[in-house]
This record gives sequence, structure tokens and C-alpha cells, in this order.
Amino acid sequence: MIQGFGALALNGFREARRNRVTLVVGFFALALLMCTTLVTEVTVHTFNRVLTDVGLGVMSIMLILLAIFLSSGLLSREIERRTVFLMVSKPVSRSVFLAGRLAGNMLTLTLLLLAMGALFFFEVSAFRNAITSTQFVAIGVLWVELLLLSSFGFVMSSFSSQIVSAVVTTGVYFAGHLVTDIYNISSRSKSELFRLGGKIAYYVLPNLSRLNYRPHASYEVAVTPSEVVSSVAYGIAYSAALVVLAMILFSRRDFK
Amino acid sequence: MSTDTAHPPIEIQGLSKTYRLGFWMSRKVQALKSLDLTVNSGEVYGLLGPNGAGKSTTIKVLMNLVRASAGKALLFGMPPHFKEARRHIGFVPENPAPYEYLTGREFLNLAGQLAGLSGHTLDKRVKEVLQLVAMERAAGLQIRRYSKGMIQRIALAQAIIHKPKLLILDEPTSGLDPVGRRQMRDLILAEREQGTTVLFCTHIIPDVETVCDRVAVLVGGNRVREGSVKDLLTSEAPLFETVLEGVALSQIHAWGYQPKYSKEIGERLIVRTSDQEAQSLARKVLGLSGRIIQLQPVRFSLEDLFLQAMTEVKQTVGTEIT
Repeated sequence: MIQGFGALALNGFREARRNRVTLVVGFFALALLMCTTLVTEVTVHTFNRVLTDVGLGVMSIMLILLAIFLSSGLLSREIERRTVFLMVSKPVSRSVFLAGRLAGNMLTLTLLLLAMGALFFFEVSAFRNAITSTQFVAIGVLWVELLLLSSFGFVMSSFSSQIVSAVVTTGVYFAGHLVTDIYNISSRSKSELFRLGGKIAYYVLPNLSRLNYRPHASYEVAVTPSEVVSSVAYGIAYSAALVVLAMILFSRRDFK
Repeated sequence: MSTDTAHPPIEIQGLSKTYRLGFWMSRKVQALKSLDLTVNSGEVYGLLGPNGAGKSTTIKVLMNLVRASAGKALLFGMPPHFKEARRHIGFVPENPAPYEYLTGREFLNLAGQLAGLSGHTLDKRVKEVLQLVAMERAAGLQIRRYSKGMIQRIALAQAIIHKPKLLILDEPTSGLDPVGRRQMRDLILAEREQGTTVLFCTHIIPDVETVCDRVAVLVGGNRVREGSVKDLLTSEAPLFETVLEGVALSQIHAWGYQPKYSKEIGERLIVRTSDQEAQSLARKVLGLSGRIIQLQPVRFSLEDLFLQAMTEVKQTVGTEIT
């Protein structure tokens, strides 16, 4: 079982590599360098804050787009191209196949995150700015956010097309960051239905603002370990629930 | 759990499959209707039938790609969703689609790993199967650069990499040129020589006649014929085909003949009758100043059997249930 899982995960990573996603790192480096040059020209006092803001912002946008793109096509593309026929018929369970594919996806994103993180810290130190623990926290918890979004895209792609999966996952990304605002706004409404809708959205959608420590890093706001552990546990538990859901859906699916 | 030699490689009893289609899943299409089938160890078994007869659905149920609506399908006595049941099976689907971004060798490595091979054994088997399907020279190329024939070969190679006891092939020769078809048939026969049981599904009848020991004809999700190729071909009384001129079909009917087959082409008439009828018919035609252009025995082929079965059933296949 472990051998099959490992083979599938490494194959997923190889697929991403051959799809030239590593170019993303190159684009990131270029974007960061260009932004930094621009930033040094226009900022006077808050250079360190803007550098962290731009660096982490570019990193998160690029990796989140990539996570949505990769995860939404993970299973739907296999089913559409019928590559799944050759894999599911092997002596590996569908759950292992699924977990291996997701692990391959996460391996790609993890290596890109590490490469981008290294570039970011190189940039920060090159401009003689202090590297803070909150910057590490922001990058570490971004990984959990990528896992959660990948798991969501993964669930969607187990029963819908790549485009539908990508659109819904993108919607969930935005809704997930706004879910607290949605709840607050809806709770002030006079309509019972609207209040109920806001409450359902709050409890059902992932609260991605809990996984966003980028403002803390930019403004150098201290975060407690318990807060970080709680956020990470929330993100991982939510992702695990999504992966289990994907496994249930995928195991019941007919491949016509 | 291991494959039990007391159980046949494939045992299907009362297997039915109804697909639900449409957004609300309200449309039903019955692909299989209470199918019974047993494939014994060491034989090459052909599933023959028109498009939509249920051949691919049968194979997909066996390979755990679709779930049966009713009945049971067993592989070596185990249900297909048991991964142990699939451990001794090699499968080539219709129009196989290996990962295009991998090279042939990488794909075989992946297939071998998923089948439980590793290390030196895996390397050795990859080399062996590449040689067997004559793909050593193209093994380093990405599959996206392969021709249809090369993809079929690499698909067969991944199916036999772990030396399966049962090989399930869905239309393995479709889309291949005559040379490719011949090579694929030779590879299947080579597997049979080694004692591998083969379930072979196709609508290309000459392939079945060449390769299979036993065949089943499926029409509309039902098994309408089954037996050894030899028995099926000799089960019908021999017919004679008479090509004649100067006599109308109505005249032949008036003489009391009921040809099994008749066709008028211009002034010529083709009729198929029994041996005795053919002799007396020829005499009557000549007596009426007609001409006998040709009189020859007709070899009953699997194609005739197939068409006969289709006519008897009079059923369009894969139709919607209302």
C-alpha cells in the first residue's frame, strides 16, 4: 500500500514538473525583484513592511492560483482522458489512489513554497531587513491554506469538470476570506432567512481568514503559539474531512 | 488472501447493469441483463457483440470501474473491489490512455510499482516486457509522441509486467493496421502458451476465430450464444449458394423452396438453400431455360453466427428503458 502511495505521489510531482509549473518560481523571482526595485523608489519609512507585504502577497496569489489549477484538474482530467482506467484497475484501492494523487499535488506546492520562501528571505536579508518569526508563521500557515484549497478542489474534481471545480474553488477562496464579514453583516439583517444563510455560510465554508498571517507579518504583530496551533489544527481537520468526502464520492463513482 | 485455484478465473452470475443518465439521473439505460458467464483457467475466451452489446460494461464491472446493479462477478472467487482479486490480473482497456507526460519506461515502472514489484525484479521485468512488445528503442520517448500501435503495445506491456494469471483485453486490436493487429494477436497467443487465461472482447470477428478457444455472443446485454469456436461453426447445417439468371424469386417460392437467404442483383438472383434443395433447384432452373452462374458451398462463419444471433434477438442495443 505504501509503495503504491509513494509511486503515485512521486508521479503526481513528476506530472506537475513536466507541466512546467517550476516556471512559476522563475516568475515569482522576477516579479519580486521588479516589485522591490519599484518599492525602493516610492517608499521612505515603511520599506520593510511593504517588502514583506509584496513578497508574501505575490507568493500567496501565485501558489493559491496554482493550487486551484492543479487540484481542480486532478481527478476530472484523469477521468476525462480515461487515464484512470489503467490506474484504478491496479491492485491499489481507490482511496490510496486518491491520497497518492493529493500527496503528489502537495509535494509540488510544498517544494515551490520552500523555493519561494527562500527567495523571499534572501530578498529581505539582501536589503538588510530583519527576518521575523511571524514571516515564518505566515509562510508555514500558507501551506495549510494551500492544503485546504487543494482538498476542496479535489472534492469538486471527483464529480465535476475541471472548469466547474476551478470556478467553485476560486469562489470558496474568496468566500472563505470574507466569511466572518458575511456572518457579521447577515446577523444585523432583519430577514430571518438572510441571517440563517449567513450562519450556514459561516459554519459550512472554511474560514480562511484564520489561516492568513500575512498582515501579522507585515505589521510585525506578535502571534501566540496556541493561536497558530489552533489555526493549523482547524485547517488540517477541515482538509481531512474534505479528503474523506472525496474518497467516499470517488469510491462510489462509475467510470463509463 | 491469494488466488484460489478451486475457483475459475472469471465467474459471472445474473449480472445486470443499469446506467442512470441525465442531470436528474432519471433516464435509465440497461447495459447488461442477468448475464451468466464462466471463463475457465488457461482458455482464451472471446466476448463478441455489436457496439452497445454490453461487452465493455462486463469488463468494467470485472475491473471495478463500474458497480453492478444486480448479480455477482467474481475474479478467482473474489469480488472485483477486493484489491487482492486484481493482483493477478492484467488489463488493457479500449483505447488505452497511459500518462502522456511519462516515457514508456517510466510508465511501465509506475505500473510495476502499483502491481507490487520493486528494485531489481522491477527493472528486470521492465526490460523483458519492453523486449516482448518490441518497444526497447522507443522506451525513452514520452508517450505523447507514440503512435496508436505503440500505445497499444505499451498498454499490453503494463498489463503483463507482473505476470498475471488472467489477462482482460477490451478491443486490443481496434484501430491497428494489419501488421499491428497481427503482432497483437501473436502476443496474445504467446501469453496463452504460457498458461495465462485471456478474456478478449472485440467486434472484429476474424480476430476471435484466430485467437479464441470459446466465445460468447452478447446482444442487448444478454448472452445469446456460447461455445467453442469449432462447435459453433459446425452446429449449422451446411448451405449452398446458387447464383442464377432467368428465374424470379417468386418462381422459386412457387416451387416450394424457402431459401435461408436471397438477394436480387440486377438480373441475377442469389439464394442460399440446403445441399439437397440446391441440387433440385438447379435442375428446375435449367429446365426452365435459366442459367446457373455459380453453385458453391457456403462456409458458416462467426460473422454469420453473429448476424443470425442479432436477427433472432431483434433488439436494438443499449436502448433507453421507458
